[in-house]
Amino acid sequence: MHELGIANSILEAVETEMRPHPGARPVKIGVTVGALSGVDRDSLAFCFQAIVKGTPLEALALEVHDAPADELELTCLELEEPEP
Amino acid sequence: MTTTKVPLERKVLSENDRLAAALREEFARHGIHCLNLISSPGSGKTALLERTLAAFDPARRVAVLTGDIQTDADARRLARYGFPVRQITTAGACHLDARMVAKALEGWDLAQLDLLFIENVGNLVCPTSYDLGEAAKVVLLSVAEGEEKPLKYPGIFFKSKLMVLTKTDLLPYVPFRLEDAIANARTIQPDIEILQVSNTTGEGLDQWMEWIERRS
Repeated sequence: MHELGIANSILEAVETEMRPHPGARPVKIGVTVGALSGVDRDSLAFCFQAIVKGTPLEALALEVHDAPADELELTCLELEEPEP
Repeated sequence: MTTTKVPLERKVLSENDRLAAALREEFARHGIHCLNLISSPGSGKTALLERTLAAFDPARRVAVLTGDIQTDADARRLARYGFPVRQITTAGACHLDARMVAKALEGWDLAQLDLLFIENVGNLVCPTSYDLGEAAKVVLLSVAEGEEKPLKYPGIFFKSKLMVLTKTDLLPYVPFRLEDAIANARTIQPDIEILQVSNTTGEGLDQWMEWIERRS
């Protein structure tokens, strides 16, 4: 269904957030997926893996948090930066 | 290497939401009441809109955007009533998003409208996530489907202001339990308004027309 589009939107957000951190590597992106959001978390995880595979973001982990209502939110991006 | 955590706390679809908010502002500026109709394929969205357009005074300032994966069949059906109609073909996408709506509105003088129907792609899941700038989502459920659908697809029943039970003329012939369907919808969303309509006999259409006018 539309989980592929949602996965794409998440990756776009990661790319935007990485711009102020040149040389850094994104490690983990957190997303809250509500039970009434219309998004299936397994399907989202599958689509996410499919689109990062073979790209520089292949090692980026998707961390999905449960929520009760229609939440579909980015929570936190974890990245590794080289020592200054 | 040092690990940094960047708090984001924004919606995944924030870009769509931004565009939808701009549409909502534009609709408000022109006094346009916009309704987003969502249902499974074949629940009677187009038939309800045909009945609705047929009942309007020809001077009514109403327009329709209708979404489908392929074909302009619905736009051709709806154009017969003399009001502006545009088809959005999504070429595979299972829902409309705010960008598609904004693009489809290009060239229309919004100052000439005060009511806009958006007929979403037939799908009870994906359209739920995409705000189109509408004043309200309206979910249709036909009695030829199952009364447990509000429980199976809670998202859209949670977000809709109104549920229209359609094809009520079929009630004598199908095992659909109306009371259960209503109870299931109210389990998901206690405040949801509910109407019963037959596009075939016209029963319940008056209440639907009143509901539209009350909101616009």
